[in-house]
Amino acid sequence: MGKTMMGHAVISTEGLSKRFGNRVAVDSLTVAVGAGEIVGLLGPNGAGKTTTLRMLAGIIAPSAGHAVVDGRDPASEPENVHESVGFLTESPGFYERLSAERNLAYFAAFYEGIDAKAAAARELARLGLADRARDKVGTFSKGMKQRLALARVLLHEPRILFLDEPTAGLDPEAARNLRELIVSLKKDGCTILLSTHNLSEAEELSDRIAVFRTRLVAIDTPRALRESQFERRLRVRLDGGTETCLAALRGEPYVRDAHEEEDGVLTMLLSDPDRDRPRLVARIVQAGGQVLEVREDERPLEDVYLSLVREEEA
Amino acid sequence: MKRRIWNVVRMEWAGIAATPSSLLFLVVIPLVLVGQALLLSWIVPRFVNPAILGPSATDANALRLLILRQFPFFVLLIPAMVANVFATLGIVEEKVSRTLEPLLATPVRTWELLAGKILSGALPGLLVAWASAALFVGVGYALGWGSLLRSVLTATFFLDVLLLMPAVSLLSFILGVIGSSRARDAKEAQNLAVLVVFPIFALIAIQVTGLVEFTPVRTLLLALAFFAVDAILLRGAVRLFARESIVTRWS
Repeated sequence: MGKTMMGHAVISTEGLSKRFGNRVAVDSLTVAVGAGEIVGLLGPNGAGKTTTLRMLAGIIAPSAGHAVVDGRDPASEPENVHESVGFLTESPGFYERLSAERNLAYFAAFYEGIDAKAAAARELARLGLADRARDKVGTFSKGMKQRLALARVLLHEPRILFLDEPTAGLDPEAARNLRELIVSLKKDGCTILLSTHNLSEAEELSDRIAVFRTRLVAIDTPRALRESQFERRLRVRLDGGTETCLAALRGEPYVRDAHEEEDGVLTMLLSDPDRDRPRLVARIVQAGGQVLEVREDERPLEDVYLSLVREEEA
Repeated sequence: MKRRIWNVVRMEWAGIAATPSSLLFLVVIPLVLVGQALLLSWIVPRFVNPAILGPSATDANALRLLILRQFPFFVLLIPAMVANVFATLGIVEEKVSRTLEPLLATPVRTWELLAGKILSGALPGLLVAWASAALFVGVGYALGWGSLLRSVLTATFFLDVLLLMPAVSLLSFILGVIGSSRARDAKEAQNLAVLVVFPIFALIAIQVTGLVEFTPVRTLLLALAFFAVDAILLRGAVRLFARESIVTRWS
């Protein structure tokens, strides 16, 4: 197992590939995920995110390459991998004519050494569904089914979670609650692979983001990905004197570009934004400008993602 | 292993119990088939001249005996139909409700899942068929046909009940699995799997026409042939039940 930014890898793949007939779903994926890390998987529909999760979960076998999850090969010993992994599938999938607790107890009973009924009750309580435990799942809303699906994933208290579109179709409150739960699971030490189309969610939750398009386009922290695609710009709002300040700043060697983007707002490209920021502010003050606000003009992750995907297309 | 198989069986039965119409089916089909066999045995000799069997047949009981002798094959329709309903309900529901992928993400082995499904479908089919056979014999005795039934309850009858019935029950379930894996809903699956009744009708026809006499040896060979077909079809069903097919085609 290799090392990652979070220490030793608990999930690693090497040349992992999957073909369905002539179609390549996943092309030679090599990646390592450290213990306690959340890695967000981003990519267009059909990019291979779900197929990758299915291969890592030992549900489908790779066509080439291999993976190691919690020290085991999911292709050759899927049942052992399932003991330590929880996989939230894209579709919740329940026996709708049966109660929530009966559904959970059924799934729990497949795991070794756990009290199925107690595990079902514990997770129903954790996901706020205890009062609906005896109700048929068919009567649940989509958000409740998604929570129930997450409860099912947690029944055996796995240390590794694969979450495929966990907040898809949820209302904002339910989605937020689910994100909070994911954060708390990370705090408990869970390693999480999170496939999502929600870019802000990916950025909020993930330590690193992997951009997929059949093959791995890029993987890094959101900030590093942003910097790989766009230069960091500073926006400085002034209370008058913009032209004088602009003239003064253009003479500074560390200012690579400066212009007035809108009335009273200067946008600047610095050689090293972290190092140069204090002297930039000092120079503005020296030139007679009154600084109201200095902030980094951060490009949304959506721009970063689209840039990466288009770069890959090109 | 055993625990996981029984977990599947219990869940299947809970699902069936939660569908009263399927429970009704479990009771109604056997009752209709047994009732029909008894009614025919009672009514036909009253209205049909036994001479149709040949110049030597002058007794109404000869006609009744002929009908009673069809029962061992006639009753095969019960496990065939019941197991079929269980198979299609059990598997199509997984497909429609998309529970197979979450199931395959648990430590359950594919064969354990399939074994649980087979037991949950074939066992009730078999038990109901045995209960129907017992009901048939019991009512026959109550109607005073004891002497006739004694010539029905031969080694062939018991081979039929103890070997042919399980073989047919299994065949029906496997065809249910195959039908379900190809179908979009329970109705379509049952339409496909109902093919299992055709060989049974053929057996009944052969028996009625007297083309082949089903001696114990022949019945034993027939049961073995059914088991052989079961084994061949089971391989196909297991392939269709492969994890990859399930998640890529069924979901």
